Amino acid sequence: MKRLIALAIFALALGSAGSAGATAAHKPIYMPNAKNMQNPALQPPPVCCVPVGPPVAGEPAPVNMAYFGGHVQVTPKIYLVFWGWGQAGAFDHTTPGMPANDPDGAAQRMTNFVKAMGGTDWAGVSTQYYETDNGQNVYIQNPSNVYGGVWYDDTNPIHDNVSGLELAQEAQRAVAHFGVTDLHNSQFVIAQPQKFNEAGFNGGVGYCAWHDYTQPQYYPGVQAGISFTNMPYVLNMGASCGQNSVNTGYYTGRLDGFTIVMGHEIEETITDPGAEDVINGQNLGGWYDYAAYENGDKCAWVGYTFGLTNPSTVPGGLNNITGNDGKQYPVQSLWSNNSAAGAGYCAGNGNDLPTG
Amino acid sequence: MRRTSSALLLPLVAAVVLATALVAGAAASSATSVQITTPKSGSTVHLGANPYTAVAGTVSFAAATPQATRFYLRRDDCGGSNDNPHLSVVNGTDAGDGCGLVLTSVVGLGGDVDHGAFVDFPSTDGMPLAFDSGQNVTGTIDLESLAGAGTGLLEVDVSMEALDHGNGVTIGSDSESVLITPLAADYPVAFTIQPNPALAGHDLSGIDLRVHVHGPFVFSGFIGNSGKSWTDVPSYAASVNQAVQVSLDDASFSSPIPARISGSSWSVAIPTPAVGKHTLYAESTQGFDTSAPASTTFTVKK
Repeated sequence: MKRLIALAIFALALGSAGSAGATAAHKPIYMPNAKNMQNPALQPPPVCCVPVGPPVAGEPAPVNMAYFGGHVQVTPKIYLVFWGWGQAGAFDHTTPGMPANDPDGAAQRMTNFVKAMGGTDWAGVSTQYYETDNGQNVYIQNPSNVYGGVWYDDTNPIHDNVSGLELAQEAQRAVAHFGVTDLHNSQFVIAQPQKFNEAGFNGGVGYCAWHDYTQPQYYPGVQAGISFTNMPYVLNMGASCGQNSVNTGYYTGRLDGFTIVMGHEIEETITDPGAEDVINGQNLGGWYDYAAYENGDKCAWVGYTFGLTNPSTVPGGLNNITGNDGKQYPVQSLWSNNSAAGAGYCAGNGNDLPTG
Repeated sequence: MRRTSSALLLPLVAAVVLATALVAGAAASSATSVQITTPKSGSTVHLGANPYTAVAGTVSFAAATPQATRFYLRRDDCGGSNDNPHLSVVNGTDAGDGCGLVLTSVVGLGGDVDHGAFVDFPSTDGMPLAFDSGQNVTGTIDLESLAGAGTGLLEVDVSMEALDHGNGVTIGSDSESVLITPLAADYPVAFTIQPNPALAGHDLSGIDLRVHVHGPFVFSGFIGNSGKSWTDVPSYAASVNQAVQVSLDDASFSSPIPARISGSSWSVAIPTPAVGKHTLYAESTQGFDTSAPASTTFTVKK
């Protein structure tokens, strides 16, 4: 309850950041863009005790995460929804040889990534975290196939400046479309096309994406218990949301942000599908630290200097990983409580802190 | 009154239908076309005597003549929000010509001014491009107004990248140096790139030319536009990737069967289908271009 009150006070003090949430008292878990890492409006409200300032730009946010009693996604399944990508006006350009509903290849890249991330060392970072069921710790698994399915929804019309509630409603439609019954282990990425994006992203609030968990008081009329991600067309934000942050070639790095940002949200949802919600005194949150930073937040944009230096040269910095399809995908690292001899650090990118 | 309205309406509907058909025809127009000559429409095939059915026809493709496609380095603005450096096959006067810094300081002999500042010029037209890796990419980067530079060498690094089926692939790079003096105002720097042979014959969706100027004597210069800087990219007039495929009873070609092409003819043998009436479809592709489908109907008997 304290947490709910704290959330409400914090949100009221700051005002609603865009129209991301359905109510003024609720904020989803933002991934700030690289220029807004220290923007207080985008920081999660601290869980307790002494408020912690934002992390130094380009560096990890220290101290280990704790378990807050909610569920995790033990056997995750990720469902991709490309909402309105085939709708008229979704893109302002075409590219020869590319589908009209995906002229930059972003949808294909995201799909390939979700199919390829299972079983990687990067996804394996989350296997140290667990949920407690009847006194037993049940650990997150890292199966080779976490791909649930893809839906190009051109039936339900989208529009620009879509709200968080509308994204939640689309997530609910996706639950029905895919026939999902195991919501605990399922998450839905609602990806938007170039010209129809979520209002807060468009409005310059300063985030690249966010994830959340549907509850009646936050998303009225939407089925409770759906973990979903607001995934805007991050190429619209350029380098702030990761374009060419790992791969410097104009085309090679153009889509870097899509897997960096979506990977951040997917892994946060796996370890904290309840998105830090506290409902009627019950904490639905999984793993985060006492500053309320999740495993992705703590390692966001590590090593990124907008091209001045290569982020992969910094331990835990942005880097390419090899997917289970043998292809390279740029991602950020993930917080590992087990790294640095238990002190914790960002890991999984192939440029971890030296051990031994 | 109602009849009059209908009479007026019908020609209007017909006109709309005709206009739609013309637009659709234009959209579907293709440089490649295909016909089926065997089996002839309405013919009969006997399953017992012919476990395989010969399918053949004719095809035409646009000539894949080797050529070079010239792209001009263009800019729309002078360092503003609409700067938009890009490559275009269309030449003209650039609003961004004659401005825009390359680098802004001088360190003198032994130093190397390099702020990591490069400029990308992605293509905005001229695509798809059927790439010919057997010839070199050439071009000229025109450097102007290197005021206060003194005398010394200036380095020009150029690299070219292709967008190949959604992936960025390096075409190649070159580094050239040019001696600059206080007296000259214009330095055309020629470059040559040996292309990546792995891209031979690929149909490219885009190219990007990255230009990076640096050196100990660089000062407030810029890359000349309005036709002064350009690159010639070896290409073919049409794609060299040509194919014919057939499909039995499925106009969507969900399980296409490739045919062998010999000149302007093509052929393939397919297992004779079950007894009954069947429709055979054929289509040709050249690069990203697909012909209108041809079809023939035949009957299989025991």
